[in-house]
Amino acid sequence: MRQIPFHYAVRNLGRSPVRLATSLIGASLVVVLVLASGGFVRGMQVTLSENARLHENVMIIGIGSEEGVERSQIDASVAGIAAASVPRLTQRAGVIYASPEIHAALPVRESSESQADLPAVMRGVREVALLVHPEVEIVEGRAPRAGADEVMVGALAATRLGVSQERLAIGRTLWFDDREWTVVGRFRAPRTVMDAEVWIPLTDLQIATNRESSLSCVVVTLGGAKFSDVDLFVKSRLDLEVTAIREHDYYASIGEFYGPIRVMILVTAALIASGGVLGGLNTMYAAFAARVREVGMLQAIGFTRVAIVASLVEESVLASACGAIIGALIGVVLLDGVAVGFSMGAFALTIDAPVMLAGIVVGLGVGVVGAIPPAVRCLRLPIPEALKSF
Amino acid sequence: MALIECRGLTREYKKGDNIIRPLDGLDLDVERGEFVALMGPSGSGKTTLLNLVAGIDSPTRGELTVDGVALGSLSRNKLAAWRAQHVGYVFQLYNLVPVLTAYENVELPLLLHALSRRERHGRVMTALQRVGIADRHDHYPRQLSGGQEQRVAIARAVVTDPTILVGDEPTGDLDASAAEAVMALLGELHDDLGKTIIMVTHDPKTAACAERTLHLEKGRLVREAGAMEGAAV
Repeated sequence: MRQIPFHYAVRNLGRSPVRLATSLIGASLVVVLVLASGGFVRGMQVTLSENARLHENVMIIGIGSEEGVERSQIDASVAGIAAASVPRLTQRAGVIYASPEIHAALPVRESSESQADLPAVMRGVREVALLVHPEVEIVEGRAPRAGADEVMVGALAATRLGVSQERLAIGRTLWFDDREWTVVGRFRAPRTVMDAEVWIPLTDLQIATNRESSLSCVVVTLGGAKFSDVDLFVKSRLDLEVTAIREHDYYASIGEFYGPIRVMILVTAALIASGGVLGGLNTMYAAFAARVREVGMLQAIGFTRVAIVASLVEESVLASACGAIIGALIGVVLLDGVAVGFSMGAFALTIDAPVMLAGIVVGLGVGVVGAIPPAVRCLRLPIPEALKSF
Repeated sequence: MALIECRGLTREYKKGDNIIRPLDGLDLDVERGEFVALMGPSGSGKTTLLNLVAGIDSPTRGELTVDGVALGSLSRNKLAAWRAQHVGYVFQLYNLVPVLTAYENVELPLLLHALSRRERHGRVMTALQRVGIADRHDHYPRQLSGGQEQRVAIARAVVTDPTILVGDEPTGDLDASAAEAVMALLGELHDDLGKTIIMVTHDPKTAACAERTLHLEKGRLVREAGAMEGAAV
């Protein structure tokens, strides 16, 4: 089959600047939308599944609290007992990788005068937490000292609290438990929920939350140990009323909880993208309807219907491809890494290769789907009638 | 054997409950190298006959053979390939592609033939020179007059060296002098290249350029005349 030359499709784009602009804007908006929704879903997914991918951590939490560590209350002695009882846990320089932690969603205020509660996700930790969670990297300042009313904030904590990054700069203060807490350190833990947390010395948080003798969990790094070793420990110490769950599995179950939200976002994006396709259809119907006689002429001189449809689709795809590239650039520049708060903390919109590919494919799809029906309709007219049309 | 043979050629259309028959059992032979004008009132079937001969429409009944090929038996794609090979079509409204230059418009039908770029260039320039518009080869249709556009359209129709050249009122949209020039050009193509030309026209003066004028009424051939007779009608 002989094709109509490509420059015919290219030059046809210039026939109507308004139509070209409409196609470009429509396709780029659809792509931006796909990147935003895809980046949202991907960002949430990555944040909730990255934690234990690199490190085999196991959480020891209270029985029945597998769906929310904030609700877990275990005895403070569990950390020491677990470290002593589970063989071959990772250790370095005599320090066993067993991090006792309190996870709490607490309201904090900007100052004593402030009336607005800011929803903070706090984690009470000891120094060993930095070993158990090596993703955490202090990028400014230092770790907080116990008893000095000091905190350390994650890179996305400001998003979680709904304040500016400057508001959580080193030396600035937050107000909770009736006193001021000074920010002494900033850390980053990209693509983990910790990136949006406020870290505080364990004992300080125990006092602030009136749970001096309890913890939320103990996180241990397996090293030479196996999960079954930790599992055996929790099952043999029924008196402690604890259970073991891989950190990865814990966040995966949280991720499942957000599954319907992700589906809704994707469905909404698909519906809006369908609107884009309909808009594209409308534009192409008008564009091709104005060229019925020309299409009749092309058939009359011997071009097949398939060749003509291919050329019309080529033209539409060319416009939508340009729009898709514009949309992709907008997405990368304006959306990638933008922080979004959610109940577990915050995460960054993640526009990685699969999301980008999805955006480009949908952008091109708008061009194909938006062109085929109008092109076919344009060809439905018998050639003699097409040649008579105006 | 005639180049074009029509036997009992009938074309019917359904319009609501009515059947319209623009062509009704027509018998006609056109010899190779003839220049034929089709005349008749609106709805007489002349354009329908032209479209059938050009292979852009199919008969409802009867037989139509062009150069030994029964057009009714060809599939849509084969008919398209046949058109590309054998038919040059000159339209009343030129039907040039506005986004292509005169050169590219003339080149368009050649893209359906297995020719190199160089061969195409040679043929396009020859065709443009023959219609006297080679100096405007890089002009777009909007930069040409009506007469010049029709010259480009004629160049496009003859560039593939088709078996038959069909024209549907090729001078219908032109002023008198441009029409005269276009008819002179078609006459040259007939005389010099021996092209078989079939042309629909309402204008007796235009029909006078043809060797034979066929008068149709209600889908039937009612009268046939030689060149001078045709002009006198």
